[in-house]
Amino acid sequence: MTAECAIVGGGLAGFTAYQTLRHGGLEPDEIRVFGTDSDPAGAWRTRAAAIRQRWMRSESDGHCLATSFPGLAVLEARRERSVAPLVASVLDRYNPSVSAFLEHVAELRERSGWDESFRATRVQRVGAAASGFDVGGQDIFRHVLLAPGHPGLAMPPDLEEDPHAVHAYEPHEFADRVAIVGAGMAAATEWLNALAAGASVVSLRRREPERRPLNLPRPFFTRRGLAGFHALPPDERARTLERLLAPSYPPGRAWDEPIETARRNGRFTVAAEVDGAEQIVCATGFRRGFAHDPLLRRLVEEHGLETAGEWIVVSPDCTVTGLTNGERTIGLAGVPAALGFPAADTLAGAKYAARGFLRRILGCRTR
Amino acid sequence: MSYTLRGRVESRLAAAVVALVVAAILATALADWWPLELAGLMIGVGLTLDVAAYHRLLPYQPGWVALPLGLAELGATIALARAAGVQAPLVSAIALFAFAWLAAQVLVHAALPLLCRSYADDGGELGPAGAALALVALGVLAGSGGVAWATKPPLYRLANGVQRGPLVLDRPGVYEGGPRTVVRGGVVVRTSHVTLRHVRVEGGENGIDVEEVQDVVLDRVTVTGATLDGIHVRRSEVAIHDCVVRSPRHGYTQGIDISFALAQRMSVVEGCTVTGGAEGIVTHYANAMVSRNRVSDTSLRGITLTEMSMGMADENAVEGAVGIGILCGDHSECELADNRVARVRPDRTSQDPTRMGYAIVSQLGAQTELHGKEAAGKIATFVGGTIVRR
Repeated sequence: MTAECAIVGGGLAGFTAYQTLRHGGLEPDEIRVFGTDSDPAGAWRTRAAAIRQRWMRSESDGHCLATSFPGLAVLEARRERSVAPLVASVLDRYNPSVSAFLEHVAELRERSGWDESFRATRVQRVGAAASGFDVGGQDIFRHVLLAPGHPGLAMPPDLEEDPHAVHAYEPHEFADRVAIVGAGMAAATEWLNALAAGASVVSLRRREPERRPLNLPRPFFTRRGLAGFHALPPDERARTLERLLAPSYPPGRAWDEPIETARRNGRFTVAAEVDGAEQIVCATGFRRGFAHDPLLRRLVEEHGLETAGEWIVVSPDCTVTGLTNGERTIGLAGVPAALGFPAADTLAGAKYAARGFLRRILGCRTR
Repeated sequence: MSYTLRGRVESRLAAAVVALVVAAILATALADWWPLELAGLMIGVGLTLDVAAYHRLLPYQPGWVALPLGLAELGATIALARAAGVQAPLVSAIALFAFAWLAAQVLVHAALPLLCRSYADDGGELGPAGAALALVALGVLAGSGGVAWATKPPLYRLANGVQRGPLVLDRPGVYEGGPRTVVRGGVVVRTSHVTLRHVRVEGGENGIDVEEVQDVVLDRVTVTGATLDGIHVRRSEVAIHDCVVRSPRHGYTQGIDISFALAQRMSVVEGCTVTGGAEGIVTHYANAMVSRNRVSDTSLRGITLTEMSMGMADENAVEGAVGIGILCGDHSECELADNRVARVRPDRTSQDPTRMGYAIVSQLGAQTELHGKEAAGKIATFVGGTIVRR
C-alpha cells in the first residue's frame, strides 16, 4: 500500500503521533516519517543530559502511547512488582525517571515499526498540491503532520557572542561562580546542579517563577480549560499563551531546601544583572515562533496562512485551517501547535495534536 | 483529571450502568428491590453532587480525592436510604456501594482511558457514546423502577381505633397500622408474602397466628393478653422484627413459638421484647435465628431451641427466668453467642434436676456450641447433651 500519511519531524512529537496513528489502525507502510535522526529521543536525550535531568516533570501519562492508560506508573508497578508507583500516582507524587522514559521510547520504537516508516531526510518545504501536499519533493501525501520541534536555542542577544556564556542545553561543567539566566524548569534544575557541583549561583531573572507541578495549570490539559481558550480570537489566544507560558517549576522541598541552605550560606543570590560571574548559563529555553523555522516560515509565506503574533493560527484540533478540508489534512504537532493546545511542547500536547490529526484521517472522505 | 461538567455526568452515568446491572442481578437473586432502590439513590446523590458541588469546587480532581468523596457519597446514600425507608441491610448496602465505587474507579482510571484515546483530553466526555450510555442508564433505571412499581405489593392501611378480630389476612400485601390501631381478638395470617407493621394485638387464643405460609414479616407489632401464644407460627417462614409480647406471668403461655418448620427457610426473631409466660421464645423442629431479644420473667425457660431444631441465639438478654435461661434440647443443634443470662432462679417445686437455676442447659442428645462471651451462671448438660466452647 502507498503511504498516504506523512509525519515531518522524527522527534518525540512525531514519534507520539506515529504511535497514535498505529493505534488508530494505520500500518507502517501507510505512514512515512521524515527526520534527521532515527532515534526519536535523540535530541531530547542530549538536552536532558546537558541539564543532568534525572526525573521527568510529566506524570504517569507522560508517555508516547496512544491511550493514557496504562501509564508509566502502571508499567513500573508491573515491572517492579510494587504498588508504590500507583500510590504515588494517585497522590500526584509520581514522576517517571528519565531512564525509564527513555527505555519506554526505545521499547516502543522497537515494536511499533517506526524504523520501517522512517526516512532520513531533512524536509525543507511542504506545499499544497492538487490531491494533498508535496513533502519536500519526496511524494504527495494526503495527510501531513508537521512536527519540526523547537527552532533552536534562545540566547539573550547581548550574550550571544559572550565567550563566558553557554546555553543550559549544551554540554557544560560549572565554574566556581555561575550566573544562571532564566527562571523556568531548566533554570531551577541548573541552580541545583551548580550548587551540587560546589559553585556559587547568581540567579538572573526578569520575574519570579510560578510554582506548579506541570507547565500549565491542569485544566488547560483538558477540554475544561481548552474550551475557553479556543473560544478566544487568535490574537487574544496568543496573548493568553504569553501569560500561560511564563517560567515555572514544581513546588516541593526537593527544590526549595538546597536553595534555601545555599542562600543562608551566601552561595545563592538573586540579581538583576551579571556581576563578576566566571560563567553564564543561559537557561532561556528555545526560540519561539514560526518565523525561526524555515519550513514553517515558507509554508506561511507561500500559502498566506493566518498568524497571530509569533504563532500559526490552527483549529482546536491543531490542524491548519486554511489548508485542511474533507479530503486532505495538514496539522501541527509539538511547539508550533500552541494556539491549539497551550502545552503543545509536552507529551500531552503531542498526543492531543496526534489525536486530532487521526480523527481527520479517519473521517476523510477519500479514505 | 480536570473534568468538564458534561464529562463528569457522562462518566458518572457510564459507571452507573455497571452499578445498575449488578443491582438488577442482585435484586433478581434476592427477589427484593432494595439493590435497585439503593443504586438509584447512589446515582442520584452522585449526579447531584457532580452538578451542584464537584464541578465548581474541583477544577482539577487528583486520584486520591475519589476516596473522601466516595465516603461522603456513601454516608449521604445510606442516610437517604434510611429516610426513604429503603429496606436495605446495612452491611449489604455498604458492600453494594463499595463494589459500585470500585467499578467506577476502574472504569474512569483504566477502562475508559484505554478504550477512548481522548478520554482525558475531553475532560471525561464520551461523545456520542456518552449520550447512549446516559440513555441506557436512565432506561435501566426507569425500566426497573417501572417493574418495581408494577409489582409492588399493595398497601392496606388499618384504621386507627379498635378493630374486632380475629383479623384474617388472606391476600399478599403490606398491612400497616396507625399509631392507635388495635386489633382485639387476634390476627390470622393465611397467605404468603404478608407484612404486618405497626399493629397492636390484644387478646385472642393466639395473638398472631401464622400457619403454612412463607415470606411473612411481622414488624414492630405489639401483642398482649393472648391466652396461648403471643405469636404462633406453624410450618411457616417468618421474620419478626422489633416486636413486644407480654404474657401473663404464670399461665402456660408462650411469647413466640415457631414450630414444625425445619423444611422451611430460616425464620428470624430479632430485637423483640418478650415478658412473662412459661417460655419466652421457643422453637420446635425449626430453623431459627434468635438475635438481640430481651426476654424476662418467664416461668419455664427464657429461650428454648428444641426437638431437632437448628438455630442460633446470639446477643440476647435473658433475665429473671425460673428454672432455665436458655435450653438446647432434644437432639437440636444450637450455636449460642454473646448472650447475657441473669437472675435465673431454681424451680424447687418441680423436683426436676435440670431446672435448678441454670443459665444454659443442653440435654437429651442436643449439641450446643458456645461462642464469644456468655453471661455468668451455671451451665449444665443432661442425658447425652453436649456443650463445646469455640
